[in-house]
Amino acid sequence: MEMFNYYLKLSVRNLKRNRLFFILMISTLAVGVGVFLANIAIIKSMANDPIPHKSDRIFNVTLNIWPNENPSARLRETMRYDDAMHILKNEIATNTLVHYQSKVYTRDINSDNLSRYPAVVRATTPDFFPMMDAPFAFGGAWTEDHAKQVVIGDSLNQQVFNGGDSVGKTIEIDGKSFEVVGVLKPWVVKPMFYHVTGTQAFDISDDIFAPIETAMDSEWAINVQSSQTEQIDSVSDNRGKNGFFIQAFVQLDTPHQKLAMQQYLDNYSQHRKEQGDFLRANDNRLLDVNQWLEHHNVVDERMLAFAIATSLFLAVCIFNASSLLLARYHSARFETGLRRAIGARIKDIFYQGLVESMIIGLCCAALALVFGWLFLKISMTLFPKLQYTSDIDASLIIFGVIIALTTSFISMIYPLIRSCQTSLSTTLK
Amino acid sequence: MLNMNNISRIYRSDTIQTHALRDFSLDVKAGEFVAVTGPSGSGKSTFLNVAGLLDGFDQGSYELDGVNIQGLNDDELSRLRNEKIGFIFQNYNLIPDFNLFDNIDMPLRYRGFNAAERKRRIANALEQVGLASRANYLPSQLSGGQQQRVAIARALAGEPKILLADEPTGNLDSLMARQVMELLHTLNEAGSTIIMVTHDPEQARSVGRNVQVIDGQITDHSVYAPEKNNAPIEVNA
Ligand SMILES: Nc1ncnc2c1ncn2[C@@H]1O[C@H](COP(=O)(O)OP(=O)(O)OP(=O)(O)O)[C@@H](O)[C@H]1O
Ligand SMILES: [Mg+2]
Repeated sequence: MEMFNYYLKLSVRNLKRNRLFFILMISTLAVGVGVFLANIAIIKSMANDPIPHKSDRIFNVTLNIWPNENPSARLRETMRYDDAMHILKNEIATNTLVHYQSKVYTRDINSDNLSRYPAVVRATTPDFFPMMDAPFAFGGAWTEDHAKQVVIGDSLNQQVFNGGDSVGKTIEIDGKSFEVVGVLKPWVVKPMFYHVTGTQAFDISDDIFAPIETAMDSEWAINVQSSQTEQIDSVSDNRGKNGFFIQAFVQLDTPHQKLAMQQYLDNYSQHRKEQGDFLRANDNRLLDVNQWLEHHNVVDERMLAFAIATSLFLAVCIFNASSLLLARYHSARFETGLRRAIGARIKDIFYQGLVESMIIGLCCAALALVFGWLFLKISMTLFPKLQYTSDIDASLIIFGVIIALTTSFISMIYPLIRSCQTSLSTTLK
Repeated sequence: MLNMNNISRIYRSDTIQTHALRDFSLDVKAGEFVAVTGPSGSGKSTFLNVAGLLDGFDQGSYELDGVNIQGLNDDELSRLRNEKIGFIFQNYNLIPDFNLFDNIDMPLRYRGFNAAERKRRIANALEQVGLASRANYLPSQLSGGQQQRVAIARALAGEPKILLADEPTGNLDSLMARQVMELLHTLNEAGSTIIMVTHDPEQARSVGRNVQVIDGQITDHSVYAPEKNNAPIEVNA
């Protein structure tokens, strides 16, 4: 312990004496580690399990539906209104939801301010809230399928009503009035697994949650990559027709439920097949949350390529720091030689180097976290989609410190070995 | 105390081999003060480096204070250097931004002494070289002769068996050189074994035993200086 304190003292003196050099070197490492950390933060949130306690119990429903023979046998992510309604009818799942996404303009109907705010609508069913664990601040979900009622998210509540309990207030959506029956607490799902279709996995959570029937009645536009195999004149015209735009999720808590659900889906597609639908082989899938995210390649391959690039960049930084240190140790070899001559073992010199690398590592860690945070902010400004997704959390801070310490150790090791190898009789004259 | 038998040290480079020491044999008894002289490049420093375990050798055997050096690992060699040997270099080799206390402290740290013991020894060593009041000075605030005395204090603090000095007065003017020599004599009289390389014949004459190295070999074993009445003190090792 006494030796450790001595090494600590020597290292601090060394750092002070070569202040400029070490600032340069630590910054070099910190930039590398910082970029690396920011990158890891982004990837980590992309690979994040959005609902860890039940991700293996929530399943996306994929029906292999297509009314005509279709050569491209890709799985369809969306289904027709009728399919959705049939799934909704099941008495197997703990919770069942169907939804489509829309975008609308909205304002407080009693406000003097005439400006409208764009809002993302989740046109869905009441099970959405318990299944997603969406937390209510005030009120609750609607109960009538065609109710002219909505639940609003926290940020829209702030924007339109200046926050507070807005239950009972009236909100104007695309020119019509709706009653607010529930307000959510601030709530983010990342990635937004119930709507990963397209590139929207990292969108900000929804502003308005409305009954799907009401949304269709109100002709709220379908804001999903949809398809149709016949003429459909309006949103509400989708009922009974071949328009594909709805996604479905079920919560199945037991293997028994899952088996039953699979059977329910297969029976349904068999039934439709007999009526001339579903001409492809039966392939109805229940993918749980993580399988579903994987199916959609939510962790972008470009992101992984970027990760390789940042790792290489980190390697270059280590290399740089190492060569800087090599020069430093070369100029310090007189002192090393002297210490050896008066009785320091190679071990002692090495331990001293380790303590020094530890101090450098800690400085580097602190700086790297600042840099990492900065890079993350910059990335978010450049790519607003990343907003709300990535954060440097406690585990990442610990990871950062470990990386910084390792990095500084790695860059130290070769110069240190070299400095231990110097011949004593030539360094001291 | 120090016993070298047929030591040879060969420096090899790609093109040439230099026999810095060949068949070098020397026996130094405890309490002796030996002056090593010889022309430049004759191998004096090489001898001192081998003696001080700063350099290895190719052939022969070397025993220091009863310990055979052959085959010792770095830990053991370092320990011997730390405990048994005190070095005094021509250019002092003090660390410029350490004060005298911290400079003398260095070898004691590696010895594992506790703070109180180190403090006692440092004070003692500074006392011996007459710099007791300057523990907080930096080397640059001292004259060359004083700096060399600090280096001697550093060597003394570990209470070594033998002091090895390579031209300790080489960088000093004659007055300061004389002070350093007086210090070495005092230490020798108090029982220290000293081997000193010097170019100064007068200094050489002033000590108990002279050894001349020419071409890596000892040619002249013991030139005494009777007029100085400075016979070697024969003590059984
Ligand atoms: N590291 C080395 N590599 C190669 N040759 C060396 C090395 N050190 C010393 N020599 C050679 O060994 C011989 C003895 O050198 P040494 O330094 O021992 O001489 P010296 O007697 O101390 O000389 P001086 O009085 O000038 O200090 C010289 O020929 C020198 O060139
Ligand atoms: Mg020499």
